[in-house]
Amino acid sequence: MQYVIIGNGIAGVSAAEAIRRIDPDGPITMIGDETGPPYCRPMISMVLEGRIGPERLPVRGRDFYDRLGIMPVLGRRATAIDVDRRQVCIGERRCAYDRLLIAAGADPRPIRAEASNLGNIFFMRRREDVHGIHHALDAGVRRALVLGGGLVGFKAAYGLIQQGIPTTMLIGSAYPLSMQVDARAGAMIREALVARGLDVRVNLEVRAFDGNGAVRQAHLSDGSHLDCDLVVVGKGVLPARSFIPAERIAVDLGVVVDDHMQTCVPGVFAAGDVAQFVDIARQTPWVNAIWPEAVNTGRIAGFNMAGRPVACPGTLSRNVIRIFDLDVMTAGLVNPPEDGTCQILQAEDHRRRTYRKLVLRGGRLVGMAMVGRIEQGGVLTALIGSRTAVRGNPERLLDAHFNAGRLVS
Amino acid sequence: MKKVIVHPERCVGCMQCMLACAAAHSRSGTLLGALGEAPLPRSRIHVGVGAFDEGFPNRCRHCDPAPCMLACLPGAIYRDASSGTVLVDADRCINCASCAMACPYGVIRYHAVWDGPPEKIVAVKCDNCLARQAQGLVPACVEICKSGALTFEAPDRAARRRTDEVARSVSSGAICPPPAPGFALLAAHKRARAEVPAG
Ligand SMILES: Cc1cc2nc3c(=O)[nH]c(=O)nc-3n(C[C@H](O)[C@H](O)[C@H](O)COP(=O)(O)OP(=O)(O)OC[C@H]3O[C@@H](n4cnc5c(N)ncnc54)[C@H](O)[C@@H]3O)c2cc1C
Repeated sequence: MQYVIIGNGIAGVSAAEAIRRIDPDGPITMIGDETGPPYCRPMISMVLEGRIGPERLPVRGRDFYDRLGIMPVLGRRATAIDVDRRQVCIGERRCAYDRLLIAAGADPRPIRAEASNLGNIFFMRRREDVHGIHHALDAGVRRALVLGGGLVGFKAAYGLIQQGIPTTMLIGSAYPLSMQVDARAGAMIREALVARGLDVRVNLEVRAFDGNGAVRQAHLSDGSHLDCDLVVVGKGVLPARSFIPAERIAVDLGVVVDDHMQTCVPGVFAAGDVAQFVDIARQTPWVNAIWPEAVNTGRIAGFNMAGRPVACPGTLSRNVIRIFDLDVMTAGLVNPPEDGTCQILQAEDHRRRTYRKLVLRGGRLVGMAMVGRIEQGGVLTALIGSRTAVRGNPERLLDAHFNAGRLVS
Repeated sequence: MKKVIVHPERCVGCMQCMLACAAAHSRSGTLLGALGEAPLPRSRIHVGVGAFDEGFPNRCRHCDPAPCMLACLPGAIYRDASSGTVLVDADRCINCASCAMACPYGVIRYHAVWDGPPEKIVAVKCDNCLARQAQGLVPACVEICKSGALTFEAPDRAARRRTDEVARSVSSGAICPPPAPGFALLAAHKRARAEVPAG
């Protein structure tokens, strides 16, 4: 069995490791345009923050490819997939497969502002991006501008204010992380950021940038302008699907897979940020572009590719964020539709600065948000993920003394 | 290979295991010494209350595959090959709490430890008392537990014992010994108290 994996992010890496647990010998080729040993993408924001050095990023040793007997093709991009001939094209070169995994991850969503190709305007997706931002910071930055309040925009802003850089954040919603948290937790996060000097502005967009080589000014949608000499764009991500033949392999927002992570073409699989499966809490097709699901779906894809059938019940959106002295954890449907199908339970303790929200639907927990005392949040996340019916009064899950024992007895 | 087996139905909630665990993971290794240490050693077994206020000793199950290990961002959580114990490399840990979100039992805590980087907050969990085991001792929580809620035995033996208990309890005419005298009564009392509406 000949395996080809496109992408050496954590989904591809997890798949390769799963394949090797079942098939020690089948040749594996891994194509990745980022060179070096596999690294932890979320941790690049900690490098920006200055909390860790870039040498801490790798999550596997330098010998990763050798140890697993992988043929790495690094610094190159897969340019096309020839489904009929079962080949991946890397420019002129072709690489045959029996089993193919598309684990190409996601690319930052581009912005539609004039002159967005000026210097010192960055995305934050790769190691090199943070390297570039640091370089700009070393040359001196008076004000930074962060576009977007999603996970990446939020982390960029946090990293910049931690470095003492005056920073403005433009967001479309009333609070940062509106896809991840609910209004209450979002307000607490916003307060914490503003208290440390972040300038948050809502319902604004950038129309154009100005500058001579490097950015100097941003023109905003309300007609005003803002001086800035560093811009980080964090407007979300899009599955990296440009090289995928959509007429052969079903692509919606992401590459559509079944519960074995297989696409509509037998033998071709997808996992991680590029894949679209079903969200467990929402029970609808969804792309959950998060690290733990990249690991999970990559592993499952790997097992199936090597011939051990493993089914995935779905993916679950979830996040945990620690900023200053605020801990926030969320999972599943945090902002449920107001159609009367969901029951919402909430508890807040102002003195302890804790907050907890549970979303139930049909006797099951489908979403949760918690601020403070998050240590046992995994119990709730597991309840959502396993779709276990909640027995007894669900209010007890709000209790600060709640623990796994409350569920089993 | 022996493992710590938890029998929640036997727990009286005395929390002795928590003290013993904290002491075993202190610099001095003794309860008295532990009290004066900074950072203050903390327990890695967590006795909480169940649905009927009964004791519930909660501790890492060293799952395989371990959700915490798969979720760990920096790759700081690993499995000790010889004992199967899931351990945290305090130097690599970044205190991101991804493991807290992944652990279905809620048994990971975050604080500084004396044998980790000074003052650095890291993920802390049960290590099966590997250091004690290397000296021929059983894990501290088991050693101190007087009610039989924590035992150290080979899992297949524990499973067999459990099967026997169940078999005894369902076979007609069999005299079913209570898990431990007195506890059934205590548990029934707590259950009754919880079920009787307040007021
Ligand atoms: C700053 C930041 C912070 C984040 N924080 C968190 C967090 O706190 N929690 C969380 O859960 N998630 C977080 N994420 C998201 C997380 O990093 C991703 O979900 C995860 O990395 C996805 O892994 P992947 O393997 O699917 O894709 P990727 O990590 O994107 O890897 C795909 C790889 O494939 C390569 N590639 C793409 N196309 C091709 C091609 N045609 N040929 C060859 N190679 C190709 C890419 O260059 C890339 O190296 C964060 C992301 C960023 C950027």
